[in-house]
This record gives sequence, structure tokens and C-alpha cells, in this order.
Amino acid sequence: MALRPGADDVRLIAFYLGKVLLGLGLVMLVPAVIAVAVQEWNAATAYVIGASLCLLIGAVSDARFATRRPLTWAHGMVIVALAWLIGAVFAAIPMYLSGRFGDPLAALFEAMSGLTTTGMSVINDLDHTPIADDVYRHLLQFAGGQGIVIVVLSLFAAGGSRVATLYVSEARDERILPNFIRTARFIFAVAGTFLVLGTAALFVALLSAGFTPGRALYHAINLFFASFDTGGFSVMQSSMIYYHSFAVEIVVMLLMIAGTLSFGLHFALWRGRPRDVFRHIEARTLAITSTLFFAVVCFGLLRAGTYDTLDGLVRKGLFTLVSAVSSTGHQVNVGETYLTDWGVLAPAAIVGAMAIGGMASSTAGGIKAVRVGIAFKTLLHDVKKILLPESALVVTTYHAGKRRILRDETSRAATTILLLFVVTYLLGAMVGLLYGEFDITQTLFESVSVGSNIGVSIGVVSPEMPRGLMAVYILQMWLGRLEYVAVFALLGYLFSLARGQAKAA
Amino acid sequence: MSNTPSPFRHRRRRNQTPTPPRRRGRTRWLLITPIVGLTLIVLGIVALEAAAPQVDTPDLVVEDLPPLALEPGRSCTRQTDDTTAAEIRAVILPGARVSSTQVFRCPAAYDGLEVSYAGEVVGEVLPRDGGAWAQVNDDIYALRVGPLVGHRELDGFNTGLSVWLPDGLHEQIEEAGRAGRRGDVILIRGTLLRTDPDDGAGLTIRAEELEVVAPSVTIEDPLHVPQLIVAIVLALLATGAIVWSRIVARRF
Repeated sequence: MALRPGADDVRLIAFYLGKVLLGLGLVMLVPAVIAVAVQEWNAATAYVIGASLCLLIGAVSDARFATRRPLTWAHGMVIVALAWLIGAVFAAIPMYLSGRFGDPLAALFEAMSGLTTTGMSVINDLDHTPIADDVYRHLLQFAGGQGIVIVVLSLFAAGGSRVATLYVSEARDERILPNFIRTARFIFAVAGTFLVLGTAALFVALLSAGFTPGRALYHAINLFFASFDTGGFSVMQSSMIYYHSFAVEIVVMLLMIAGTLSFGLHFALWRGRPRDVFRHIEARTLAITSTLFFAVVCFGLLRAGTYDTLDGLVRKGLFTLVSAVSSTGHQVNVGETYLTDWGVLAPAAIVGAMAIGGMASSTAGGIKAVRVGIAFKTLLHDVKKILLPESALVVTTYHAGKRRILRDETSRAATTILLLFVVTYLLGAMVGLLYGEFDITQTLFESVSVGSNIGVSIGVVSPEMPRGLMAVYILQMWLGRLEYVAVFALLGYLFSLARGQAKAA
Repeated sequence: MSNTPSPFRHRRRRNQTPTPPRRRGRTRWLLITPIVGLTLIVLGIVALEAAAPQVDTPDLVVEDLPPLALEPGRSCTRQTDDTTAAEIRAVILPGARVSSTQVFRCPAAYDGLEVSYAGEVVGEVLPRDGGAWAQVNDDIYALRVGPLVGHRELDGFNTGLSVWLPDGLHEQIEEAGRAGRRGDVILIRGTLLRTDPDDGAGLTIRAEELEVVAPSVTIEDPLHVPQLIVAIVLALLATGAIVWSRIVARRF
């Protein structure tokens, strides 16, 4: 029987959650300063309120619950699961005060979408949104994309061994360097390098697209956050359509691909070992599945007569596919037209690509290519075992940083998570159908998109959508980002609190 | 003898003894406090948002626009329902006014037709060789209530179409819409292209005529005084809490 957590456990969890709120408060101060600079006074006071609440609670928990106790795996999982939930609640405060959301649930949806880098939006009148609100939405994606718990704890320099449990709990199971703090800082170094290079490239592309230097810089920074962190929010409601620029689309596509690469592969490239990338099971799986899906998208669009030029297939078909695979969600089409103008096959291929998503230990969402690759290798392994003599020893290997033997526990873990994702996609689609307003194409497309933290929308998600469905999508985004394990651990912990056996005094 | 508990029974009872009341009470208090606190914060934020000052924006209704050619209800699906597109196409007269919602519900029906379209220019006008691109929205914020500043007429997403304005037309636009500003509202006449070859197969209107039907309007966002007071109080409390936590941290 599980042991009931005591007051010391709750204090330990509260202490680390306080740290996360301190970090979130600092994030909110950025738009507060911007709002003051551009004289958006109501936005400024909204961000001061949000930041002050986070800093106040964070500081109180820091003072009251400070501890040197080590974290167990259970603590780590519970802290991470709660951090994403409570973080989203507090992140929603300035959003709701902006008056652009019909109710607190819609603001929570937007905050969760930002933090989990889903990128689906329910904001009203985005095209007239204050600058500070735009920056905040995009900044949330940056914080979430880098892994907010890791961001905070590496900033506040907690010990490496303490962060280890949180690092893995936050669905980042690839330790690149021996020390977790150094790994987190390497992730920052990668993001910082891309921030400079990506923003510069976007700035030049936007200048050539007709923007003034000031507006080009503003759009470039926001676009960078939304693209590299595979978020998908946009400054304008029309998303990428607004720019009318192939150069901007190319830079954004490269940033989306960079964002979907695991930090382990970034490290290999950083160290000048490109062969490691080509041999990696995840890179190969992603390359094969994306090529197949692109072929299906092209065939579907040509057969439906949607596009009949290379321009259309690349700028609409390929861009949408990269946006889906990378789990970014930038759109080059109005969502409704996927239903009315794309035929049947191409949207189905996009759903498949969204379900798989990008690479593990990256900012991308979805089932993840490594799990699909391992599931496929497991299938091949089982077929080989059937075909070969019973006495034959079948050993299957795969390359993930180094050559590894495919073990039963690896296969089981990959297929379990894969199955959980599929079940969640289907449940989300069924809940959507219960409302009777949408058909299965729409609800499945949208459920896969939110469950994989993608953000490409076919039109179900909107400010007026049913609130029950909105709540289900919030849950799906949370589950998808944490890849289930941390959330199940939280549920187990809550059960132990209620029914567990007391610890010996 | 039977009254003397065996050591084994005694051990069992000790193991099953619940946590001492004070310890359990502390745990319960630690769990209840944040839930109550979070509920109070949410209620406070909702009350604060409800107290935001409101302004009337009746002057922003754009009148005297040509009526829409169709109600925006009918949609079609490529491959599975092409007859609806043909039916819509048959009733659209040259130069009839369309809305973006109508077009997105059945893009094939309007491909290559000469149409009229009215809306607010938002963002920026992007000059290119021979003309400029503009995003023209025809939602409620553009044509009726104005930007979401100081009012609560929430009506969902912005909707609009991309419009190519050749040289000689885009110069008439003075200001595009942004936060706190409804941009110029224009009425254009041009050709709608479902897959514009000069825009990477994007859905656009190539304008041939343009008329500014309403100039841009700036709307002041009234200062939310209660929100300002709450912000100042909370900022002071947060500063105090941070100073306190630093002092405690030095002792720890």
C-alpha cells in the first residue's frame, strides 16, 4: 500500500512550485516594462498584478518552506505536473485582465496553449491586440518550449542532482552532458544562438517583404519565439498568410525544423558530428515518415485539384506539413479551407504527421518519432522471431546517440505512451462529436492537433467553442506536453494523500 | 493472560496507528490553504475585470455599404460536394459584394469572379514592386464596434482577405488598424483568385478600384483605476515579501 505523504512532502513540493512562480513572475515583468515603454497603461497594470502575485507567493514559499531535503522521483513528477497546471493558471491572469477573453476558462486555454507550445488561440480581436500582450503570448511559448521548470531551476541554480528528477519528469529524458544544470545551460546556449541568427534572418526577410525596420524587428522576434519553440502563435490572425513572402516562409521552415531536432542532435551538430544525426533512429524515422506524408499530401492536393503548380505544393503543402511535423502550427491557409478546399486525403496525411510529431527532448510535441521508430523495430523483431528457428537468438539494435540493443522494457514503454496518445486523440474526437456541431474530420483533426501540442486548426477551436470541449482540450494539452507519466504520478500522489497508509512516526 | 497484548499485535497496532492529529492537521492545512487562496485570487481577478470602464463606440458603424450577395451560410467540400460551389457561382453577379466568411466556406465558388469587398486595413501595408499587399478584415470589429478597447462586444476571431493593391490605389490608404486604432475602411472591386500565382497559390483579391469609405479612428483606452490601485498594492507586497525571503535565505 502507498504511504501517505506528510506535511514535509507537501512543504517540499510547495517550495519548488514557489520557485517556478518566481520564474513566471520574472517572465511577466518583461511585457510590463514594454507596456510602460509604449504607454499601454492598462496592460502594464495587468502584468504588474500577474507578476506581483507570482513573486509574492513565490517569495513567501521560499521563506517559509526552504529546505535542503533531496527530491525523490515522486516529488519530481508531482512538482512538474503541478507546475504546468498552476503555471498556466497564473499565466492566465494578465490575459483575462486584457478583456479579450469571454471567461477565465478561455484565458486558461490560451495560457496553457502558450506554455505547452500548442499555439491554438481563442483570443478575440487579435489584430488590434496591444504590443505587450503579443510579446507576452510569444514569450510564454519560449518559457514553455525550453521547459519552464528547467528554465527556473537553472536560473535559480539549484543543485544538479535536485534538478535531475524534474528534468526527466518534464518529458526531457535525454541527458546531453553529465551534469543536468550544464545540460540545461547547453539548451539555453542553443536557443540563444538560434535567437540571434534566426531573428537576424527574419529581420532581413521582413525588410525585403516591405516592413519598416521597427516593425520588422517586432515581427521577427515574435516569429522567432513562435517558430523555434514550435509554438505557432502569431501577431496577426492571418498567421503566415499575412507576410506574402517566400523568404519569410523559408526562414520560418528552417527554424521549425531546428526546433523539432532533439537537443542531443543539436549537440552532435555543435560538436561537428553530422553522421550521428543521419544514423539516429529518430532522424531516420522522421525523414521516412515526412517523405511519405509529403507524397500523400501532394497526391491528395493534385487529385482534389486544390493546387496544380509546384509553387502551391511547396508553399502550401510542404509548409503545412513541416508546421505539423514540427508541432508548430503556423498556418498558410485559413483553417476552414482545410475542410472546404483541401479534399480528403491531404488533411488525413496532415493528421498522421501531427500525431507522430517531432523528436523527443526537443520543443516539439506528439507521440515522438523515437517511439514510432521503436514500435516499428519491435514489430520487425517479432516477425523475425516468428520466421527464424526457435533456437535462434534474435537481437535488434537501433542507434540513439550510440548503438543500443532493443530491450523489452524499451519497447513496452514506447508502445504504452504511443497507445495513450492514440486513446487520448480518439477520446478528444468523441467528446467533440457529442456536441453535434462538428463532423469526425473536424473533431479528429483538432483533437490530434491539441493532443500533440501542434496548433494547426481546422476551425473547431474558436472563442465561441463549447466550454466543455475547451476544458477537455486544456487537459489534452497538459497531458500531451508531459507525456502522461507525470500526470499519472500526480493522480497516484493525490490518491495516497486520501487513502495511503501513514508513515511511521 | 488474554488481557495482555502480544508484542506482535502491539506492533501491528502501532503500524496501523494514523499519523498524530497535529501532523495530519498540518498536512490538511497545507493542502487547503492554496486551494482557498487560488479560488480567492480567481474571484478577485474576475471582479476586477468586471469593473473595467466601458466606452460607447456607436460612431464606428460603417454604413452605406452595398448589401452582401449571399447569406454566409452555405459551405461546400472539394471532391465530395462540388455541386454547391456551382450553385453559388451561378447566383453571384459581377461586382457583387462578398464577405471573407462566405469565401472561406466555399473558395472554389468564387475563383476568378469579379467581386466587391469592404473591410478595415489592419497591420501594415506592405509595398512591393508595382503595388502593395494589405490584410483587409470585414469582421464586427472592422465594420461595427471597432477594436476591442473599452467595450465587451466579443465576437470571436478577426476574419479577412489578402488584397493586392496596384500602384495608384494603395497610396489612398493613410493608416492601418492596430491596438486602439480602427484603420481605414475601404471598399474595393477586383478579381478573386483562389490560387493566386503571384502569391504562392494564396487566396487573394486583385483590386482594380478602391474607395476609402471610413477614415481611421483612434480610440482612447480609459484608465482602469481600480486595477492601477490593486497593481500598486500588490507590487508593494511582493517587494516586501522578496526582501523578507532574502533575509530568511541568508539565515538558512
